[in-house]
Amino acid sequence: MIYKVSYVVQSGEYPGSIKNEDEEPKVGARVMIGPIECEILEVHQIMPPRGDFTFLHVTVVPVERLTTEED
Amino acid sequence: MDELLQILKGVELFRDLSEDQLDQISKISKKEAYSKGDIICKQGDPGDAMYVISSGQVEINVSDNKGNAYSALYLGAGQLVGEMALVDEGTRSASVIGVEDETVVYNIPNNKFTALCVADTAIGYIMMRNIAQDLSFKLRHRDYDPTDT
Repeated sequence: MIYKVSYVVQSGEYPGSIKNEDEEPKVGARVMIGPIECEILEVHQIMPPRGDFTFLHVTVVPVERLTTEED
Repeated sequence: MDELLQILKGVELFRDLSEDQLDQISKISKKEAYSKGDIICKQGDPGDAMYVISSGQVEINVSDNKGNAYSALYLGAGQLVGEMALVDEGTRSASVIGVEDETVVYNIPNNKFTALCVADTAIGYIMMRNIAQDLSFKLRHRDYDPTDT
């Protein structure tokens, strides 16, 4: 299965990303959105799968923001 | 060529094409490698090709009427860029810039792609449907509001 993923950055302060992933994105995992490292908050299916493709929306938050909030 | 066929099979744009049809696409595709900061195509230029991203990431960078440039989107492996110019024959709506070293794309010239679609209308139908679905996905991405969930 190929996961076509729409990544949206929660705060809206950074642009999102679209890319294919070999493995299903999981909450808590980290991913690079352009040059920004982000952590996955939510995963939703956008539309039914077609062929080998599954279509997902993933909401992420910049790791730097998590670190700031922990401080 | 086998490497390219494997890459094409992992791109939604080419979903439902047979091995023979994928082979025809591969014959008109040209591999290009870019480094971080390299401009793959520039906003306002004629759109003479579309690109399939094989590895790395690219930035979609838009300049507004006042000359202010901003990042609109990042696209990674398996994504299509530059297809709007194929559909509407307009100029580039954004610049495409390499984000990572060793960003590899496949350049598919519009004239050769169109000729292939005319010569083999089965390819033309499948590819145009897949391009429409890819544009639909991008619209859903743009309109998605995470606060609605």
